[in-house]
Amino acid sequence: MSIRTRFSSYLQSAVLEFVLLILCIALALVAPGFLTAENLLNVLRNVSMQGVIAFGMTMVIIAGEIDLSVGSAVAFSGCLTAYLTEALTGPAAGWSPAAAVPLAMGVTLAVGLLLGTFTGFMRTRYQVPSFITTLALLTGLMGAAELITNGFPINSFPDWYNFFGGGYVVGIPFPAIIFLLVFAVVHILMNLTAFGRAVYAVGGNAEAARLSGINVKFVKTAVLAFTAMLAALSGIMQSAEIMAGTATTARGWELDVIAAVIIGGTSLMGGSGRVWGTMIGIVFLGIIINGMTLLNISEYWQHVVRGVLILAAVLLNRIQAGGEKS
Amino acid sequence: MPLETAGIRKEYPGTVALKDVSLRFEEGKIHALVGKNGAGKSTLVKIFAGAIQPTAGSILLNGMPVQLRSPREALERGIAAVHQELSLVPELTVAENIFLGRLPVRKGFGRKLLVDWREVERRAEETLAGFALNLDVRMKAGRLGVAQQQMVEIAKAMSYNPAVLMLDEPTSALARRETGHLFELLHRLASRGIVLLYISHRLQELQEIADVVSVLRNGEVAGTIGIGDASPATLAGLMFGQTIRAERPPDIPQHAPPALEVRNLTRRGAFSNISFTLARGEILGIAGLLGAGRTELLRAIFGADPVDSGVLVINQTTIRPTSPGQMKRFGIALTPENRKAEGLIQNASTRFNMCLASLDRLTTGGFITRERERTVVRSMVKNLDMLVGDMEAPVSLLSGGNQQKVVAGKWLNTAPSVILFDEPTRGIDVQAKQQMFQIIYGLSRKGISAIVVSSELEELLDICHRILVMHSGRIVKTLEPRRTTIEQLVVACMEGGTAT
Repeated sequence: MSIRTRFSSYLQSAVLEFVLLILCIALALVAPGFLTAENLLNVLRNVSMQGVIAFGMTMVIIAGEIDLSVGSAVAFSGCLTAYLTEALTGPAAGWSPAAAVPLAMGVTLAVGLLLGTFTGFMRTRYQVPSFITTLALLTGLMGAAELITNGFPINSFPDWYNFFGGGYVVGIPFPAIIFLLVFAVVHILMNLTAFGRAVYAVGGNAEAARLSGINVKFVKTAVLAFTAMLAALSGIMQSAEIMAGTATTARGWELDVIAAVIIGGTSLMGGSGRVWGTMIGIVFLGIIINGMTLLNISEYWQHVVRGVLILAAVLLNRIQAGGEKS
Repeated sequence: MPLETAGIRKEYPGTVALKDVSLRFEEGKIHALVGKNGAGKSTLVKIFAGAIQPTAGSILLNGMPVQLRSPREALERGIAAVHQELSLVPELTVAENIFLGRLPVRKGFGRKLLVDWREVERRAEETLAGFALNLDVRMKAGRLGVAQQQMVEIAKAMSYNPAVLMLDEPTSALARRETGHLFELLHRLASRGIVLLYISHRLQELQEIADVVSVLRNGEVAGTIGIGDASPATLAGLMFGQTIRAERPPDIPQHAPPALEVRNLTRRGAFSNISFTLARGEILGIAGLLGAGRTELLRAIFGADPVDSGVLVINQTTIRPTSPGQMKRFGIALTPENRKAEGLIQNASTRFNMCLASLDRLTTGGFITRERERTVVRSMVKNLDMLVGDMEAPVSLLSGGNQQKVVAGKWLNTAPSVILFDEPTRGIDVQAKQQMFQIIYGLSRKGISAIVVSSELEELLDICHRILVMHSGRIVKTLEPRRTTIEQLVVACMEGGTAT
């Protein structure tokens, strides 16, 4: 293999990375303040909340399922944490915030896990498509968030709670650390464990997976439950950033998250995709929005660009796949 | 109008499907066409239906040569076919199905734009009237039973007023009583003077339905005989010819402690009260017709389908199979009948597929690495004598034989004690078949038992220590291959009933 063909085959396997690199170089040249540690950490923090969920969503989509409820789950989880904190620290219970907040967070994460398990149960026991169950949860949780907050933000958090959304550890935003941690966990899970192989198998051909002795029901339920819990985690961080439980937050996040996964090369048909690709997809979206903001381009254009990006990324993927076959 | 073929030949790249086939089908008679898999029956039917063109030779209808370049042209010439798979649209009514693509229209908005539903129903009722079928033509086809759907298919074919009607394995999905109805109908159609061509592998039913039987073997006409002479044994002799028996190596042992004991296993609607014992290293064949319950039995032993009653005994442990994962832990493996849909993940690589059943064995400290997998796959590829260019390429690119070896390799990696092979040689070439047998012999030498289900009866006689014959969900005979001829095995599969 000559250097040239080796380079071109490397380029083919990492097109998205190269495009991202070129975008960064271009922005560094034209957008003042882009290439500063402060700005880049800011980008990382901005993508963290959705990014955390996107890694779980990658597993769900590879397993041949979908979760449309994550946006509502973020809002609901923030509201639930705020509501529980308020109730526990209120005059009736009289807990100290130091005890109330961890309990509220724990309960919220557990509820998230249960909601995902419910979706998995509906899918594996009654063959209700996850699309349907999570569509129902999307509106259901949105309503539940409104109900527990009565339509007003709940500002029950102690000041130190802000750390989970706006704090720094050795100069790195706390949500960004969680984001990188979740990436590492999911990346290892999907690439280096038997469970990861099973997720790909279940999405590739569920019957062949079952006849290979894989517990298909468990795998599907596990990825759905894990992702719903990540959405709850994201909801906690989000409520900490804005220091309130608000029912109207995170509307439409499910589409941003799915977009990042798809841009990263994961197939909606299930069975194929990469966790690293999702990382690139998330950073890509974050950089584009950041760059356009720095260049003072209207927010409306950002939506248009995002749409173009989704289509272009998938098209590129299809063309490459077609090229391999011929 | 009699239908004739003169010297029909059909070549495919690398093989000849039909060589010099000359047959004559008379009107008013029911003409059966039999032969084992790959004998050329369906190739001939496809040529008559206009789906494919012969390489050489001609087709004569009423003594005149005709060209059948498309299914439409065949229909216009009066040749209609009812295929094995039902092709009715379940959500449309019976009447719509019959006239699909040629619904009568009436005037609406000044033009002939609207379907004339009254006319559709009237004509459908008229068509069905001759069939003694008490059907509401406004009923959705999907709500009919299989037998009724079959009748509607035949009615649909008959609505073209064909001179020739071909039926491809029409009884394979029918119950006994329904088959009787179908035969009555066919006799009535024949008496109207049309040519009826009946393809079947149920030799025992030919006595009831056919007037003349033609046997195809390896793309040639092995003989045409009147039904009076066509006993199942005679037909089997014509179908299989002089078979050269490949002998199983003499050193294949069977050991005393049983590897698996099946006790009174029953799955309603599939098989009932199945009991047998499998010795260590034994190669046990299961023969029977399509629908005898062979595949269902293997799947149930493997835990893929639930059983209603009965148990397995492995290593003195009594087990009710509930899932493939559970049976895998007990050392049972299954290579499924449908390799594409059930055996492999087509888009995934050879490495991925081959390690899929043994992931728990390949992990160290909870982790699995591609390097570890590659090492395992590399040695398996060598053991199984496979041709794999790139083990990271999708298995869909491999030949049928190599794909089957991937499925076998996947299970060998789990270190099983019993492997259930369902149609292990389907769709693979002669050399790959021999290699599959070598793999099975090799396992036997190591004390690993095999249960082999195959529709290739000669293969079962060649490789097995013992053959169980299934019929209508029951084991009706146990045969010793060395003392059994192919004719005897065929007859045993057909007759069922007389248990020994």
